[in-house]
Amino acid sequence: MAITPHDPVGQSPHGPETASEKPRRVRGHAARRRWIKTLTPWLFISPFIIIFSVFTAFPLVFSGYLSFQEWNPVAGLSSMEFVGWDNYALALDDPWMWKSLYNTAWLAIVSGIPQHLIAIPVAYLLVTAVRSGVRQFYTATFFVPFITSTVAISLIFYTIYSGNSGILNQWLVAISKWPVFSSFLGWVEEAMPIRWLNSSDLIKPSIAFVVIWKYTGFNIVIYSAGFLTVSKDLYDAAKVDGCNAWQQFWNIALPMIRPFAFFAVTLTIIGNLQMFEEPFVLTSGNSGGVGQSGLTASYYLYLVGWEWLEMGAAAAISWVLFLFIAIVTAVHFYFNGKKGLGGDR
Amino acid sequence: MARVELVNLSKSFGAVKVLHDLNLTVEEGEFVALVGPSGCGKSTLLRIIAGLEEASSGEIVMDNEIVNELSPRERNIAMVFQSYALYPHMTVEENIGFNLRISGVRKAEVRTLARAAAETLGLTDLLDRKPSQLSGGQRQRVAMGRAIVRNPDAFLFDEPLSNLDAKLRSEMRDEIKRLHQKVKTTSIYVTHDQIEAMTLADRVVILKGGVIQQIGTPSELYRNPANSFVAGFIGSPAMNFVDATLETSGDQVFAALKDGTRLPVSEAYADLGPQVQLGLRPENLHLAEPNAENAIPGTVQLLEPTGAVNHLKISVAGQQLTVVDDTLTDLALDANVHLSIASDQIHIFPKEK
Repeated sequence: MAITPHDPVGQSPHGPETASEKPRRVRGHAARRRWIKTLTPWLFISPFIIIFSVFTAFPLVFSGYLSFQEWNPVAGLSSMEFVGWDNYALALDDPWMWKSLYNTAWLAIVSGIPQHLIAIPVAYLLVTAVRSGVRQFYTATFFVPFITSTVAISLIFYTIYSGNSGILNQWLVAISKWPVFSSFLGWVEEAMPIRWLNSSDLIKPSIAFVVIWKYTGFNIVIYSAGFLTVSKDLYDAAKVDGCNAWQQFWNIALPMIRPFAFFAVTLTIIGNLQMFEEPFVLTSGNSGGVGQSGLTASYYLYLVGWEWLEMGAAAAISWVLFLFIAIVTAVHFYFNGKKGLGGDR
Repeated sequence: MARVELVNLSKSFGAVKVLHDLNLTVEEGEFVALVGPSGCGKSTLLRIIAGLEEASSGEIVMDNEIVNELSPRERNIAMVFQSYALYPHMTVEENIGFNLRISGVRKAEVRTLARAAAETLGLTDLLDRKPSQLSGGQRQRVAMGRAIVRNPDAFLFDEPLSNLDAKLRSEMRDEIKRLHQKVKTTSIYVTHDQIEAMTLADRVVILKGGVIQQIGTPSELYRNPANSFVAGFIGSPAMNFVDATLETSGDQVFAALKDGTRLPVSEAYADLGPQVQLGLRPENLHLAEPNAENAIPGTVQLLEPTGAVNHLKISVAGQQLTVVDDTLTDLALDANVHLSIASDQIHIFPKEK
């Protein structure tokens, strides 16, 4: 259609008259239907809200409240008595508290670092050096300890570590008699029986070994996923740039999996600082073993709450532990977060 | 700079043979393009030259030295990848300087050389950026910078422009050409885009199914294609192929189309056998009067204006021909027209079985 100066753009010749004669009616929904429309989404997310409120939000708030009360749960709710900061003062005054925090930190470091030092090269070799079927078989095998009950694993290690009848000691004795090994394992015979779980210097390393054994496979899975995301082109480019195998790993593969490493390390920190089952079973639930060498913070908190029935103090300790984990994680985020979460990729 | 020779080069993946006895010499400073449809083995060939893949048999010779056993680094070649393959965790400067750093060049010198390379490619303002903060064209430039910074004996390009949009692609094409004219390094360029190959290369190698079909300058390939594959592959729009029968009367050879049209052709084609294919380039066909020389009758099926020229689809003897019409004649659909073509522009190929 040609537009002349007298025919303003966009106005049809019939438009204005027909539109303005009758008042416009608003079509909409009845009030009841509007309500249904508003409520439906809430209904769908309500299972989460209910479960979250009952099992997460309420215990969180309640434990905060509890940490200022003295309460023996056996005597019922009415026995609660407000004591102010006493529980915190008591906990921070207790040498077992400090010992358990020290043990927790020690175990977190000694059982945490090797998991990653082993998992990274193993995952790299699985991804770059073997066929994918072989890789999947090994990854699955390494993962089995992670999905096995910690109590079952700990019980098995309990028997392995046993002083008189444990396989570990029997092997050590046997190996120490071999020609080459005898020169540096000569002391073994004299030291027997080595009490892995009943001497204060050996409890922590023994626990750490079980933790490493259990969680390395999990980290291998994470790191494998990470190495799989590194495109083959990058390795080709690195080869053309003159990298040998080690330089490809160090300069290309390792920096590329930083986000995965950051994630895995975060999980290790949080998980290790809450370590409970391994030390609990390996010390037979006996207050952390000889000299409380195996007493971790979670373990201590359990003792206070359920052995000594001091729920208020236990709640206070749990908040101290929370603060401890939060600080360590924050330090980790501060130093590694920028590169770990960075959007380079 | 180096002269690159491939001698009887073959490559198999298991039972599948992807390259068959290739022989090719790339002279010092020459720019050679390898072209072919996807799956023809051109990228594999480039990777073999680079040292990323091993040849099953045959030799790769650089400056009279057999380099089959050498690593990419020892061959001193640089490669630009289709995906650019920039290191995401390094800045532009680190990406460009990486190969120098790996070869143990001192830090200050790496910096100077990387900056000089960036300067050449107009990347100076981007030196501190990470690849994720760059556009496609900028990444492409960084990939080139990484290649030129080390002054290699040969450049290998693996479809470097195929991830760019059309406009950027032609810009980068010019830039690569300019770069080659400046540094004069032996270059081998793989592409599936014949225009890219024709515009950039001194010589073009056409590959199909792992076999070299023809090697020649762009104009040789266009004027004298060795077979119908090369003829169809080079030129845009693609060459038309028409079935015909060769007939000899006296000392004249004619190609007879199915509708009876007889076109005189060169005697040289006489031995190709009675059943042949005519190759007619769309730009060599012209609209003509019915009584013109070599007039071929046809009907208009489709008219596609591109602005400067019209692309016509004309049905001739039951087959559809594309014609580039630069006279921009206004034609109705189904109109009867005549096409003409000079006898020396008719290519004839044996009929494909």
